[in-house]
Amino acid sequence: MIYLDNAATTKPDEECLRSAEQYLTEYFYNPSALYAEGYTLHKEITKARSEILNTIANDKDFQLIFTSCGTEADNMAVFGGGRRGNVVTTYGEHSAIFSSVNELKERGVEVRFAKLNADGSVNVDSLISLIDEKTSLVTIIHVNNETGAINDVNGIARAVKAKNCRTLFHSDGVQAYGKIPFRMDKNIDMYSISAHKIGGLKGTGALIKRKSLAIRPLICGGGQENGLRSGTENVFGIKMFECAAVKKYSSLERNLAHVRQLNNYIRENIDRELFTVLSAPNASPYILSVVAHGVRGEIILHEADDKGLIIGTGSACSSNDKMRYSRVIFACGVDEKSADGVLRLSFSAETSVDEVKEAVKILNETVEHRRKIME
Amino acid sequence: MENVIIVRYCEIHLKGNNRGFFERVFVENMEKALKGLKHEIRKQSGRYVIEGFNSQNTDLMVGKLKNVFGVHTLSVAMKVNSSLDEIFEAVKLVAPLSGTFKVDTHRADKKFPLNSMQINAEIGGRLLDLNNALTVDVHTPQSIIGIDLRENGTSLVFGNLINGVGGMPVGTAGKGMLLISGGIDSPVAGYMMAKRGMKLECIHFHSYPYTNMQAREKVEELAKVLAEYSCGTVLHVVKVTHIQEEIHKKCNGDYMVTLLRRFMMRIAERLAKKCGAQCLITGESLGQVASQTIEGMTSSGSVVENLPILRPLCGFDKNEIIARSRAMGAYDISIRPYEDCCTVFLPRHPVIHPKMADVLEEESKLDVQALLDEAFSTLETIKI
Repeated sequence: MIYLDNAATTKPDEECLRSAEQYLTEYFYNPSALYAEGYTLHKEITKARSEILNTIANDKDFQLIFTSCGTEADNMAVFGGGRRGNVVTTYGEHSAIFSSVNELKERGVEVRFAKLNADGSVNVDSLISLIDEKTSLVTIIHVNNETGAINDVNGIARAVKAKNCRTLFHSDGVQAYGKIPFRMDKNIDMYSISAHKIGGLKGTGALIKRKSLAIRPLICGGGQENGLRSGTENVFGIKMFECAAVKKYSSLERNLAHVRQLNNYIRENIDRELFTVLSAPNASPYILSVVAHGVRGEIILHEADDKGLIIGTGSACSSNDKMRYSRVIFACGVDEKSADGVLRLSFSAETSVDEVKEAVKILNETVEHRRKIME
Repeated sequence: MENVIIVRYCEIHLKGNNRGFFERVFVENMEKALKGLKHEIRKQSGRYVIEGFNSQNTDLMVGKLKNVFGVHTLSVAMKVNSSLDEIFEAVKLVAPLSGTFKVDTHRADKKFPLNSMQINAEIGGRLLDLNNALTVDVHTPQSIIGIDLRENGTSLVFGNLINGVGGMPVGTAGKGMLLISGGIDSPVAGYMMAKRGMKLECIHFHSYPYTNMQAREKVEELAKVLAEYSCGTVLHVVKVTHIQEEIHKKCNGDYMVTLLRRFMMRIAERLAKKCGAQCLITGESLGQVASQTIEGMTSSGSVVENLPILRPLCGFDKNEIIARSRAMGAYDISIRPYEDCCTVFLPRHPVIHPKMADVLEEESKLDVQALLDEAFSTLETIKI
């Protein structure tokens, strides 16, 4: 089976699984317990926290709070930072942000949406124009999870602070972390990451935040994570996260070059009579969005699956037109007909060139065959 | 003091010589509903009393029993010895805290020293002495306290009645083949026929890869909801992808739904005969969509040679169907946004009033028998 849906989730790294397994079996203690065994685990979590944080930020200015997923980290940022005035974001955000800001709207906070460029990146002029003295939070995705468009979040954060230095800036970095070179500068107040997109486990994420920023917890209880995220820590998941993060950052450039090669192969060899490439050339090479002409994405997804290729789709098969198409793809200005045929191919460092060659063959054949039937 | 459940049935008491058959099926269905829960069902003069169960399961059992077709009303009662003091102790537990009430006694034990009216007066009087927030209203009381004095020296005391789903016991009115989609209507149509005592088998048509596995799972879940009322069911699944592709390729696209429904009816009839079903059931409602006009129904119905087609929703508005769907617990599943096969290749302007001559001309472009055989060969059967 060829797996090209790594933006949805990645296969857990086997080496990391083996190294972390002891935290499921032998070292099962509660890290908050006062006896030595528990304290040892507490130290292990502290080490993991530091290792993961230092991959993209400095521990002098930033701290890392473990969460149950990227969505929880996004929720912490939105509900922690957007408590008054207005919040500025885009229609290109992941649902974790989009649904959260809509909930904020229900609670009386004004939500403003900046325009997207055709590649899915945020139109910075539009964004900055929406910020005023009442803007409490700006939240912008780092790498668009459907098109792979990269937003220069350090630069945008700087521009946001220049317009209103009291506005908080958050970025969802789930599709960027462990994949593209990046270090957080001090203008970014909060940044969300997730383990299972880089070979870690589902159910493990984190919010990196500026140390001096005070936010209120979503989950209260035993006071873990400095009181910001209570609940007994998922030691196994955290240790897997640490291992996967360290591995990814030790080979970041090499992986990037490899994945770029895969991405370029598809761009060059996918039949342009049958497909249009949606992702911009400067998008993250880990995500490649294409439009199949005249065939619904989900139909191709099923047929490709039957032929041994797993891919993602930008549209869901739905009788409700409003729900059928991706909000993000529409926000990029793609028309309804094209939005119907959007497919998302996403890679990992483990994806081989041969797999991608076979995938292109399957995709070309499938769409050609299906078009003949449906025309 | 022991908890018991009194079950009163609907129309069965109107039956004549075959009443025993209806009662036997009714008891079997109650036994199926209570499977896995310890209990005993006893028949007592036109109703059933369920005893010998763990009182912690009372609500669970009532929940299951009230969905058994044939159940008119239920009461959770307390079984006590037939002495006024014991009866009154039970009455205190079921009596309201305020408002109007009346006591309604049935005295099967004619040796009991007080007659029904005297018992009503005695128990009612004691209750008024105990709680001055209560008053008696024998015409339109807010609460009725029931007392059944039985011949065996015990009495049943109960409060207000719980409504059951009504209808006739499933299995007393033959078997039907329900054409089930993932929508709102067809599960309701199945429910209504099961309510009149009909056993159900279901047939669903899918168009993979144009439809997805979630759409099929949705239908399985709808069949499970239906099965709770119909004492189980069987779901047959048939792939009609190639039929749709052939219609798309060879026929006027505006006839897609008209022609497809004729294929569905033929497949359903062939399966019904194989399974011993005596009719086809559809969720069609007159005029609801393009294919559900009288001409559309004539077209799809004309291919069914030897079975009646029951369309129990034909005269219902959509809102009425939705209300029934909600009541049976299917609505939240039905509105999940997964396409069933009908919307693939959907024409922009479907034929609303198809003329038979045109339909036959379009259909003549297809190898109907070969397509039917091919579709039938994809049949999968799932026991729900």
